[in-house]
Amino acid sequence: MSEDRSRILNLLADGKITAEEAERLLDALAARAGSSATSGESAIKGDPEPLIAALPKYLYVKVIAVNGDNVDVKIPIALVRSGLKLTSLIPSKAMDQINDSMSAHGMSVDFSDLKPEDIDELVGTLREMEINVDAKNGDNVRVYCA
Amino acid sequence: MSLPPMILDLKVASSTRRPVHLWLPLFLLWPLALALGIVALAVAVVVDAVLLLAGRRYHHYSILLVRSFEAVNETRGMVVRVSNEKSAVDMTVQ
Repeated sequence: MSEDRSRILNLLADGKITAEEAERLLDALAARAGSSATSGESAIKGDPEPLIAALPKYLYVKVIAVNGDNVDVKIPIALVRSGLKLTSLIPSKAMDQINDSMSAHGMSVDFSDLKPEDIDELVGTLREMEINVDAKNGDNVRVYCA
Repeated sequence: MSLPPMILDLKVASSTRRPVHLWLPLFLLWPLALALGIVALAVAVVVDAVLLLAGRRYHHYSILLVRSFEAVNETRGMVVRVSNEKSAVDMTVQ
């Protein structure tokens, strides 16, 4: 196994990247290896750091209110992933209380059925997500990953 | 596993008060947290073993503890900025 390949797989094992992202990186490596093989160069050169660096690492939430109240939050995606993994370990009684409390506040999300593979998919989708809300009163909310 | 957060940088600015800039060295707390964590983990392992032997379905307190530490470690790089016309709070975990 090449060093690049094992590094990507280690990143996947450490939960730094999702299965989908690992697949994309491996595809990119394979494509690079293929192009260098046809041109007679050595199979794989360099490291996948530029490819990994291109992946979004933070989730941004920006609220710009007309009245001057502004909120700007930058959350590492790894923290989102860790948080979601944590939810699958919360005792069911405590989870029921959390779900009840959340639904009482208008957020009917049930985290108790979240599986590890769902978390990877969710985080992968989150990286491509972008939400822009322009309220009538001029308030602006943006949620995106970069 | 990534390194735990080392510094908490907190800035509070207000139009009526003097600005405050706190630089909290979290790395000084980590030896203490490590000692407490090891004790808590030992207790959790015993509790899990007892729950498992008792046939309880939930016996994951030790994993929950380890994952909680992991989640704390991943807070590195988090930034929270809240501001209005009169004041601003800026918190960065490094």
